[in-house]
Amino acid sequence: MKRSWLAGLAALALVAAIGMVFWREAHPGWQAWPTLYNARQGPEAVPLVVQALVPTQTGRPELCPTCHVGIGDISPSHPAEAFGCVVCHGGEPLALDADRAHSTMRGGRNPSDLSVAETSCGTEDCHGGYADGERNHVDRVQNSLQATYAGAIAVLRYTFGAQDSPTAQYALQARTDASRPLPAKALPSLAALPSPVVNATLDGRVQQNCLEGGCHLWSQPAAQPYYYRASGCAACHYLYDDDGQYRGADPTTPVEEPGHGAEHRLTTAVPFTQCNHCHNRGNYSLKQMAFLPREDLPAAPAAPAAEADEARRLAEYYQPMGEFTRCEYELDCVDCHTGGEVMGDGHLYGGKQERNYVQCQTCHGTPTAPPRLATIRESDELARRRARLAGREDFLAVGDSVVETESGELLWSVKRGANGELQQIAKVTGQVYTVPLVAGSKCEQDGTTQTSDHCHQCHSVSR
Amino acid sequence: MRLWRKEKSLLYALHPARIPAAGARFTYTFGLGGLALLAAVVTALSGLALTLYYVPTPAEAHDSLVLVADVVAFGAIARGLHFWAAQLMVVAATLHLARVAFTSAYRPPREFNWLVGLALLVLTIVWDFSGYVLRWDDGAHWALLIGTNLVREVPLLGEGLYRALVGDTQIGASALLRFYAWHVVGLTLAGAVGIVYHLWRVRRDGGISQPPSASTAPRAFVSRDHLFTSEGIATALAGALLLLLAAFAPVALGPAADLRAGLADRVQAPWVFLWVQSLLRFLPPLWAGVLLPLGVLALLASLPFWNRRATGRASWFSPAGRGEQVALACLALVLIGLSLAEVLR
Repeated sequence: MKRSWLAGLAALALVAAIGMVFWREAHPGWQAWPTLYNARQGPEAVPLVVQALVPTQTGRPELCPTCHVGIGDISPSHPAEAFGCVVCHGGEPLALDADRAHSTMRGGRNPSDLSVAETSCGTEDCHGGYADGERNHVDRVQNSLQATYAGAIAVLRYTFGAQDSPTAQYALQARTDASRPLPAKALPSLAALPSPVVNATLDGRVQQNCLEGGCHLWSQPAAQPYYYRASGCAACHYLYDDDGQYRGADPTTPVEEPGHGAEHRLTTAVPFTQCNHCHNRGNYSLKQMAFLPREDLPAAPAAPAAEADEARRLAEYYQPMGEFTRCEYELDCVDCHTGGEVMGDGHLYGGKQERNYVQCQTCHGTPTAPPRLATIRESDELARRRARLAGREDFLAVGDSVVETESGELLWSVKRGANGELQQIAKVTGQVYTVPLVAGSKCEQDGTTQTSDHCHQCHSVSR
Repeated sequence: MRLWRKEKSLLYALHPARIPAAGARFTYTFGLGGLALLAAVVTALSGLALTLYYVPTPAEAHDSLVLVADVVAFGAIARGLHFWAAQLMVVAATLHLARVAFTSAYRPPREFNWLVGLALLVLTIVWDFSGYVLRWDDGAHWALLIGTNLVREVPLLGEGLYRALVGDTQIGASALLRFYAWHVVGLTLAGAVGIVYHLWRVRRDGGISQPPSASTAPRAFVSRDHLFTSEGIATALAGALLLLLAAFAPVALGPAADLRAGLADRVQAPWVFLWVQSLLRFLPPLWAGVLLPLGVLALLASLPFWNRRATGRASWFSPAGRGEQVALACLALVLIGLSLAEVLR
């Protein structure tokens, strides 16, 4: 009798285990995400099925959209339909288990971190391997001051007597420029950062306040409002709102915790808020070897950067001590500062002073000379490509004349209009302005010796 | 009309009509041999299911397993059953060996079946290892590299054995295909034949071991019904355990093996081989990977021949087998100690 009870119990255990197997099979973990998506977007927005994407470029199926429902293309020029996810992010394309799927990702959440960018963004099939160095963006940006930090390192070391001259010798990573001839002011190489950077006493603070927590493309951001950003290419091109809030549709990105990009999107129309995650944030005090953040900002607005109105721009854009004109806060940083300035020309330089070439007079001219203009000759030349990437292809046609900087780079967004006046389209907002010229005005500027700082003497705005 | 009658079922009929009560007692055998057999059957059936999806090529092997683990209906269950039943098989077979050893059941006339059982244990471990390799993830890559290079250490024959095993001068597509063929066909055939022979030989050697007949006491028997029910209970419980493990303890699968890349910094051998990995840290490969494992095997194989006339059969820890028991216990302690040292490293 006892044995038959035991047999009955054993049979029951087996049936229960089979039941649990079926329950487990009917509730795979990934279903949580489309379910959450449906809860937000409306019931039955997507069916609870495995979604396979077969990118035309690779032909290999990827199941990522099963969980990352509605994440959207990273940009119009990188449609998921063509590239998929894995070509940039790595990972296990066929896995649905989150840990497994993400186990082999390139650069964690950010494949454009400079430690991996050469194998994601900068491969020969993508933004690398061109004969025209301008198009090898990852190579180029790694030699840029934003990545080498050469100017800051030189000033720091020179100030504390670690080197005899303010000429840059070091970069965060050793870099060599093999191209010859080198342009004026370019350096053939920069050595890897010495240890200690300045001296043993200061090294802890240097590491903490300048290198790890610093504002260069290798560094990770401070996880706090206004500072949220990514590293590498995404530091500029992947937009974070001031409050670090995700505003896209992907259910897997938590909306209750800040520190995520506004949406899964790369852009070249970079608003000032993005630059301000590093710039205009405060000042470095060499004396204290510390960063002193500006304290005049209100709590980070819970609104997308693209919606910043004039009042918000005036309040947020520049630090209290900054002198700026109206156009400087109405436009975004990228409306004046070019790709060549920001991402470099592929050569190594020793400081910002050697790369800033856009001045007020670049567009406004001087009392005696109008701005330099150049004509767009080919549909696929750089200025046209840049206009297209910013989504403003219609603004610029072959035959148009655009402003040319002293270094020969074309400002595609400033062209001569039908009546001979200069027109500028704001890259982020799309608003078109007429550019007033100095020639013919009451301005008494000496165009040969005076720079933008002199313009501020008369034209700066007060807050 | 009854479609199924117990007494007409094959499994029932395979049992002897009556079994000596001493041998059928649960605390004598703990059903370990039967458990190993059940595990082998579950492994084979779940393995059959896996062959429907597994692709034995370097480019697709890992991907096909990811698909099985995450996408295929009941794929994770099949893979989980296959893995956990295989582990159960190794554990149950090892404990079965220990049971037979510590009850002196390897004594004549069962000394040949002891050797057969030992061969089956080796086969089980090789089967297990070849299956581990088929994962084709970074751990498998590492294990394959170490395992095949150990074969190279065999004096004179090493290089030839390596070529036969790997089918190339280095591990790659041929190695994967060979391990697949051996795992699915070769070892399965050998295992099936070996297991059936082992079972048949138990019957031929007089059934489950029992004390040598003492003329004074009448021998007690149980009917096969009794045994059949016990086996049913054990099967249901073990089946439930395996199903729960399969459903809730997912089997690891690392990143795909990249034969061009370097090996990961810290890799742990499959648990069965931890003691070899530990030995490899302080002994030359020939000793750690070939001679000492063969020595362990030789020691086990020699047990029945230490003292052929001694009695003590069918009782746990009989004083008549003290020498063998101590030797075996020491061996077990050393192997467990080495394995733990490797885990805690």
